[in-house]
Amino acid sequence: MAEALFYVLAALAILSAVGVVRARMPLFSVLSLLGTFFCLAAIYLLAGFPFLAAVQLLVYAGAIMVLFLFVIMLLNLGDAAELERHAGLSLSGRRLFVAGASAALLGLVGLGAAELRTGFAAEAVPADRALDDLDTLARLLFSRYMLPFEAASLLLLATMVAVIVLAKRQRERARLVPAAEGVAAPVEPAGAPAGSAR
Amino acid sequence: MSVPTDHLLALAAVLFALGVLGFLVRKNVIIVLASIELMLNAANLSFLAASRHWSQATLAGQGDPMGGPVFAIFVILVAAAEAAVGLALVIALYRLKQSVALDSVAELRG
Repeated sequence: MAEALFYVLAALAILSAVGVVRARMPLFSVLSLLGTFFCLAAIYLLAGFPFLAAVQLLVYAGAIMVLFLFVIMLLNLGDAAELERHAGLSLSGRRLFVAGASAALLGLVGLGAAELRTGFAAEAVPADRALDDLDTLARLLFSRYMLPFEAASLLLLATMVAVIVLAKRQRERARLVPAAEGVAAPVEPAGAPAGSAR
Repeated sequence: MSVPTDHLLALAAVLFALGVLGFLVRKNVIIVLASIELMLNAANLSFLAASRHWSQATLAGQGDPMGGPVFAIFVILVAAAEAAVGLALVIALYRLKQSVALDSVAELRG
């Protein structure tokens, strides 16, 4: 029963992944990605990782997907006509190259799967139980994986700062450009308190 | 679930290949970012498949009992950070070019 469910979910995941790559509009691409995330979460659940299935749903399907959809809606990228003009495949030579590269890649995948079959088929498969016990996971995260954990916090901090800088710099420049075009408004250096009541 | 490990890994490989394909083919930055997320998810799936595969050995006291799930958590974290920075870049790019097509960004082409 669970095996059949896994194969159905795997087929659905692959179909939605194809949808991610093939979609004309980014909105449909991201919604297909959501389908892939759901299928993968269910597969994690079947494979014995209930906590990671929950994390997958919360972080991917919750946070990251909302971020994607937010940007798509914010930039009004739902218009297919404007996108197809730029975003379609351009050169036939490039198309040929990409088709060859992806065929080679899929061939490698097939070879790897054949290789794996000989290596893995004889091994025992674990019984049905949770493999990501939350207690053990938390203890390990704060003992053996302390350094990656702290590095992750630094990464998140750097990400926050980077996102703020990326979003803010454009606004300051947009404020400075009319000032530079004006008559005698000197452009302050970047460190000065810009935009003081102008 | 008694699905053999190589089927899980084959699914991860197919998802990764599709992600690479989308990364190479598509010109829309949003879809390229979605393809990257697809690849990271495939990596996650292979981590968990390996962890499940060797869970018997690790329960017997050899090796790391939670390496796969811990690394999967870190991959999810990196994916979240990458999506945030990538989408901020998309917003900055859109403000600059009024477009999210990668063809419109060729300033660094030699």
